[in-house]
Amino acid sequence: MRKKECVAMLLAGGQGSRLYVLTANVAKPAVPYGGKYRIIDFPLSNCANSKIDTVGILTQYQPHELNAYIGSGLPWDLDRLEGGARVLPPFVKKQGGEWYKGTANAVFQNIEFIETYDPDLVLVLSGDHIYKMNYAKMINYHKSNAADCTIAVIEVPPDDASRFGILSTRTDGCIVGFEEKPREPKSNLASMGVYVFNWKKLKSYLLDDDQNPNSSNDFGADIIPAMLAAGESLYAYRFKGYWKDVGTIDSLWEANMDLLASGGDISDLNIFDPTWRIYSRPNSAPPHFVGAEAQISHAVVSEGCEVYGSVENSVLFTDVKVAPGARVKYSIVMPGAIIEEDAVVEYAIVAEDAVIERGAKIGGDPSGVPPEEWGLAIVASSVTIGPGVVLGPRAMARCDIR
Amino acid sequence: MKDMHGLIFAYAGGGGTRLKELTEHRSVSSLPFGGRYRVIDFMLSNMVGAGITDVGVIMRENYQSLLDHLGSGKDWDLSRKRGGLRLLPPFSFAGKGPYEGVFLGSMAALFDITSYLSHIRQEYVVLAEGCLVANLPLEDALRHHIANGADITALCTPRRLGQAECACFLQMDDDDIVTDIARGRDMLDTTESLGVYILSKKLLETLVAHCAAHNLYDFERDVLQGMLGTLKVSGYVFNGFAARMSTVASYFEHNMSMLRAEVRASLFLKDRPVKTKVRDDTSTYYAPAARVSNCLVADGCFIEGDVENSVIFRGVRIESGARVHNSILMQDTKVSAGAILGYAITDKEVVIGPGRMLMGHATYPIAIGKGSIV
Repeated sequence: MRKKECVAMLLAGGQGSRLYVLTANVAKPAVPYGGKYRIIDFPLSNCANSKIDTVGILTQYQPHELNAYIGSGLPWDLDRLEGGARVLPPFVKKQGGEWYKGTANAVFQNIEFIETYDPDLVLVLSGDHIYKMNYAKMINYHKSNAADCTIAVIEVPPDDASRFGILSTRTDGCIVGFEEKPREPKSNLASMGVYVFNWKKLKSYLLDDDQNPNSSNDFGADIIPAMLAAGESLYAYRFKGYWKDVGTIDSLWEANMDLLASGGDISDLNIFDPTWRIYSRPNSAPPHFVGAEAQISHAVVSEGCEVYGSVENSVLFTDVKVAPGARVKYSIVMPGAIIEEDAVVEYAIVAEDAVIERGAKIGGDPSGVPPEEWGLAIVASSVTIGPGVVLGPRAMARCDIR
Repeated sequence: MKDMHGLIFAYAGGGGTRLKELTEHRSVSSLPFGGRYRVIDFMLSNMVGAGITDVGVIMRENYQSLLDHLGSGKDWDLSRKRGGLRLLPPFSFAGKGPYEGVFLGSMAALFDITSYLSHIRQEYVVLAEGCLVANLPLEDALRHHIANGADITALCTPRRLGQAECACFLQMDDDDIVTDIARGRDMLDTTESLGVYILSKKLLETLVAHCAAHNLYDFERDVLQGMLGTLKVSGYVFNGFAARMSTVASYFEHNMSMLRAEVRASLFLKDRPVKTKVRDDTSTYYAPAARVSNCLVADGCFIEGDVENSVIFRGVRIESGARVHNSILMQDTKVSAGAILGYAITDKEVVIGPGRMLMGHATYPIAIGKGSIV
C-alpha cells in the first residue's frame, strides 16, 4: 500500500441518547439534517474537499442504516483504489475482542488499519457536528508549529463555556490547560472534537492508555490530559465559522433553523456555496411539486415533496407530503412523512415516514406557555398520529396514537 | 424471466430540427426535461427498471452533451464489470460499407455496430428511441412477446404523440397481432407506435444482414412494413403517459403537462424510479417573500420572487420582485430583480437582467439559447 500523509478516523459509533426517539434505530451520524443530508455528510464532505482520501469510519451503535448510507463512499468521492472510505466496526481478535469502550479505544483497536497506510498524521473527527472546515489548513498549521497534537477550537459565548471541553492557551496558540465541562471556565475556547496527531506519538499514548485500568479510554478525558501532563507540544487551531453540536433535540432543531437563516445569508453556514459542496447519497425522487393553493415562505423544500398546504420557517426533507389545508410552522419534517388535510404541525420534529392524519395538531407556539413547560414536540419514525389528536408542546410520540 | 439487452437510438430523429435553439448544442435525447432530467433518462431508467444490465446508446451528431451526461453510466447503475453502458458514437472505416458512409436510417445504424450486436449476451433485444418520455413496463412487454409467440413486439399507445408525418400507426386484431401498418398518415382505429420494439437477438442479426444485402435501411419502413407478410408482429398497448419531443411548442406543452398530478403519477413510480446524473445540489430555499403556485421545482433553487405554472430546473435563481409564469427555466437560469417572464423557455445558464420583460404565447413560446444574457 502506498504511504498516505494523513489518515482520518471518523468516530461514528455514538448513540446520541439525548436525541431520544430520533436515534432509537439509527446512529447519531445518520440522523437527517437540512433537507437532504445526514450529519455524517459534513465531516465526509470536509474530508473530500480537504483532499483527504482515506477515512476510517468507526461504527458500533445501530450501524445498518449508516453502513448502507456510506456504501462504497462514492457520493463523497471516497470510492478509491487505495484508501477511500472504510467502515470499521469492532471485531473479534485472536485474544477476545470487545466493543469500543471509548473514543480513544476505538482508534486503538484499529491501529493495524492505520499502520497499513504508514501515515505521518492522523486526523480524528467526530460524526456529530454541522460545520464546514478545511482540514488541510489545520494540518498546515500543525506542521508549521511542529506540534505533537493540534486541537481545533472555536470561541463560544462565556455563559455556554461550561458545556464544552475548554482549552487555555498562550498567545502563540500553545495549549497550557484543558478542562472537560469546567464549572468555572478559564477561557471561552471550546474544543470542536477535531484533532490532528503525529501518528507515532498518538500510537504510544494509545498503547499506554490501553494498559491503564483507570482510564475511560477517551480522547478528551484521558489522551489529551496525559499528553499535556507529559509536556508534549499541543496547539490550538482557531476556527472561525459556523459549528454546531447537534447532540440534543433543541440543537438539532436550531441547526436546521440556522440553515434557513443561511438561505438569507445571515449565518456563516453557507450551504449554498458551490466551492465547498456538501455531498450526500442521492435518491431518485422527482422535483418537488408546489400546488396552486400552496404557500411556502422562508423554508427549505427537497425533491419528491408535494406541497398543497402552507409551510413557513420549516425544513421539509425528501418525499414529504403536505396536504391541502395543512400547516407546517417552525418545524422539521423528515423524509417520507405525511401531513394530512388540515393537520397543524408547529415547533415540532416529525421523523421519517410518520403520518399526521387529518386535523391532528402537533406542538405549539412558545408564547403564553411558561418557558419551563415549553419544548419541541417529537413524533418518532413510522408513527401514525390519528385524526384530530392533539399533542401539545414537549410531547414525544413513540408509538401510534389514535 | 428471459434476459433483455437495450439499444437506444439517441440521434435527433425526424423532428429534431424543429426544436431550433434547444437542439443547437445537443440531440433531442439530451434535452433537459421535467425539472431535473434529460429525455434519455426515461428510456435508460425504463431499461434499468426492467432488470436490463447491458445498454448500448447509438449516437450520430451533437453528442457531446450526451457523453457528458451519461459518463460511465454509474448514475443508472450501469457501470458494470461485464456489460453495463456502452456508448456507440459513429466511426468511419476505410472500406466503405453497403451504405457508402451516408447515414440513412436505423437498420443502417445497426449494421455499423454488427460486431457489437454479435457480442450481445442476452436472448432478446429492446430497440428504443431516446426521445420518448414514458415509464414503460418492459418486463411485462417481454412476457407478452413470448406468450404471443411474436417475432417482433411493438409497444404502442392509443394516444397521439403529434407530428404524424414522422409516426408509425398500427392496426391490430383481437389477438394483438398487427394486421396493417401506416407511416406518416394517421389511420383511424389504430394505435401509434412508441418506437420501442422487442425481438430476439437472432432475428435482429438476420434482419440487419438481410437489409444490408438488399440496400434497405429503415426499421419501420423496410422491416415492420416491408416484411409484415412474413413476420409475426404483435402490439403491446401501453396506456400511461407518453410524450415525444418534436417542436418547441410540443416541448413546452409536454413539460407543462408535468404539472398535472396524473402525469407525474404515471411517470414517477416508486418501484421504477427515473434516475439521472447526480449534481449534488442543496434543497431549494424559499425566501420569506417568495410566492410560488402550481410549479414543479428541482433542487438547488433559490426563490425570492413570484413563480406560477412553471417548471424550474436545478440551480435556478429567481430574485425578489421578479415574476415568472407559464415558463420553463432550465438549470442555472437567473432571473434578476424585477424581471418579468411569461411563456418562455430559458436554456441552461441564461441570465435575464434586472427589469427585463419577455413574453411569448401559449401557442408560440419563446426559447432563449444556452448561456444568453438578456
